[in-house]
Amino acid sequence: MTAAPAATKHKLFSPARVSAIASNTLLELVRLKVFYFMLLFALLIIGSSAFTSKFSFQEQFQVLKDVSLGAMSIFTWLLAVLATAMLLPKDIEDRTLYTILAKPVPRFEYLLGKFLGVLFLLFIAISLMSAVFVVVLYTREQTALAEASRGVPPNLLTDEIRQIRASAFNSNLLPGIVIIYLKAALCAALTLLLSTFASSWIFTIITSVVVYLIGHIQPIAREAYLASATVAPLTKIFLALVSLLIPDLTALSLVDDIVVGNAIPMLLFAKTAALGGIYVCFYFLVGYFVFSGKEL
Amino acid sequence: MNRRVVIAFGMLLVFGALRMPFERQLEAEHKAAYFHGAKFDLGLREQIGQMAFLAALSGFRSLVADGLYLHAHALWERTEWGRMKLNFDGAVALQPRCILFWDQAAWHMAFNASIAAYEDKNQPREALRIKAQREYWKLGEDYLVRGIANNPDNPTLYDRLGFLYREKFKDHCKSAETYARCAKVPGAPVYAKRFAAYELAQCPGHEREAYEQLRTFYFMGKDEHLPTLLKWLGKLQEKLEIPPEQKIAIPPASNP
Amino acid sequence: MMATPAISIQNVTKIYPIPFKREKVTAVSDLSLTVEPGQVYGLLGPNGSGKSTTMKIVLGLVSPTSGKTEIFGRDSTTVESREDVGFLPENPYFYKYLTGEETLHFYGKLCGLSGAKIRERAKELLKLVGLENAANRRLAGYSKGMLQRIGLAQAMIQEPRLLVLDEPTAGVDPAGSREIRDLILDFKKRGITVLLCSHLLEQVQEICDRIGILHRGALIREGKLEDLISIQDQTELILENATPELLSELQAVIANSSARLLDQRKPQKTLERYFLDVTGPQP
Repeated sequence: MTAAPAATKHKLFSPARVSAIASNTLLELVRLKVFYFMLLFALLIIGSSAFTSKFSFQEQFQVLKDVSLGAMSIFTWLLAVLATAMLLPKDIEDRTLYTILAKPVPRFEYLLGKFLGVLFLLFIAISLMSAVFVVVLYTREQTALAEASRGVPPNLLTDEIRQIRASAFNSNLLPGIVIIYLKAALCAALTLLLSTFASSWIFTIITSVVVYLIGHIQPIAREAYLASATVAPLTKIFLALVSLLIPDLTALSLVDDIVVGNAIPMLLFAKTAALGGIYVCFYFLVGYFVFSGKEL
Repeated sequence: MNRRVVIAFGMLLVFGALRMPFERQLEAEHKAAYFHGAKFDLGLREQIGQMAFLAALSGFRSLVADGLYLHAHALWERTEWGRMKLNFDGAVALQPRCILFWDQAAWHMAFNASIAAYEDKNQPREALRIKAQREYWKLGEDYLVRGIANNPDNPTLYDRLGFLYREKFKDHCKSAETYARCAKVPGAPVYAKRFAAYELAQCPGHEREAYEQLRTFYFMGKDEHLPTLLKWLGKLQEKLEIPPEQKIAIPPASNP
Repeated sequence: MMATPAISIQNVTKIYPIPFKREKVTAVSDLSLTVEPGQVYGLLGPNGSGKSTTMKIVLGLVSPTSGKTEIFGRDSTTVESREDVGFLPENPYFYKYLTGEETLHFYGKLCGLSGAKIRERAKELLKLVGLENAANRRLAGYSKGMLQRIGLAQAMIQEPRLLVLDEPTAGVDPAGSREIRDLILDFKKRGITVLLCSHLLEQVQEICDRIGILHRGALIREGKLEDLISIQDQTELILENATPELLSELQAVIANSSARLLDQRKPQKTLERYFLDVTGPQP
């Protein structure tokens, strides 16, 4: 080997550094029991479609879609919160954070890499779940079509087939799934922000869950805050804090209506997705702001 | 570090204030596109219970609605009409955009519960049985009317309501009006316009109007020369005493 | 022309506030010291003396309340300064699911290395630290000594000019400890500056050129090791095959001089040397 080398040049922002941290984070998270969630989800879908055979095909598809998308919502949310809550505390406790930040890695890149790792994990999870969902839905649709061709008179068959297909697949399911993903990403960004100053990961998780619940009634608090002139000052302050601090999660809760066939116009979807994206970016940046001043 | 947390808190407040008008605007647009139509009030909480209410509020509205709907189905099998209605009420309150729920609720009320009420062996007085039957019809009608109010863009419930007026209430005028409304909704079944005309033909004082509509259909082409259309054309031609030279020739099988 | 110091700590103070209390903790108080390039500098002190805080300030992980720290002339609060630094923390855990080689690749990417350069460098370092045969084994299966050695390798991945090592031999068996010490001496031969924190004073004595002793956040002693620990007015002679007659003659000469014979005894091996001799490979 040669003698001590001369000083090296530093890159201000390096996608390669971010990507190294992101892929390492993904590898670390994938080793969690996360894929057992997948199995549970798949079993849930398959199980739910089996028991409904005594119902009409519309009812079966309704339940199948509701259970699948509901399970997708809850699992991606849970995954987002649990995976993110442990990211920083684990690295700090294991001192791997020191070995990384002692390298020429800006804190921004470290946090971005970690966060992107979580987002990739959520993407993989939701893609797998969607794939299983589509396969099961398709299988049930084919079964229903086969039953119809056996049992329905020929003059009514075309209509029946059309109704079966309309009950099964709905072009708005994809935007609905994208919104589910964005909601989970928002929860991950929020959890990351909380973890930058929380004293324990339990506090982070509990706070994240509470914010999730309150987020679904935030519009009610917001309208109460804006509308009422006769509310007591203390209540008004409380309503103001809820309206301003808590994210409006109902804006990203569209799948309940999409699943029953409600269409979402492209522009409205774009605006909703943009809101979700803005939330994610903002919470991440505030989290970075806090983390950049953290004493390690 | 604590200073940064305080500043971060301030940033969240400012962000909250900045996003508020956009979120309100977005909420209004969502509502205009028929999203978030469920009404979360104390009445609903009493209907469905605290846990279900919380779960529904927490983003699992459709799952809770499904649970109520499936439970209503089970109650139908046990002919527990009162509890069945409560479950349907909860399901439609949570999922006002689910056509299936309104449709099935109306059907169970107007066609199952009403028949069970009429055949109720525990009620010896026929007048009371008929009264109960009509009350169930009205409950069915109510579900369909509310369903239409929540889903004015879907033709299915109009179709069901038109059918209900025809079959149960024998109110052909209302049936005609409902089928006519149905025909105007995009995606309406092809028969809606014709059914409106058939019902109008049975609505006193509207025979001429019905006749003109049926003639219009007739002259659209051979595909429209359906037996029911020809039957009503023939009937109206007789009733309205249409001069022979203006009459449409009705084949004997269709001519009353 | 004087070379730029590897580390320059100038009047650094670090005060930590205690939440919900008025009083504060002064971890480091007006510390100034310099580490010249190519030195092995030992930073010593009891627990709570401010060693870790000082190291973290040097590495830019913690900002000083006042004062300035530079690494080869670059402000250590900047990210660029860490291009020149490799760090091994005390009892580090690396990512257990990565193999030795993957660990080095990961840290190499963080330093801007890629492709063939990383592979080549990783191979070199694995050979240097004696972990070639464990390169494809997951770190979960590494012993403490192996973890410390892979830690050293990752610290060296970008060929830094400065190494900061916190307790590099803590919890490592004597053989592993000896190997790590030999590596540090090897780094020194290559001109790499080393800042070493350790409680194992015997080891510090063996490898450091200069030491600084911290106590309650202040630097109480600092200087060249041999100057600090030599007992100035005593001399040690070690003789081989000295006969009893020769020893008697020497005693007589000393008795007739102003010097005083304080002690005469057989020198001892260190327990470590004895241990290595009996447990190492036998001829």
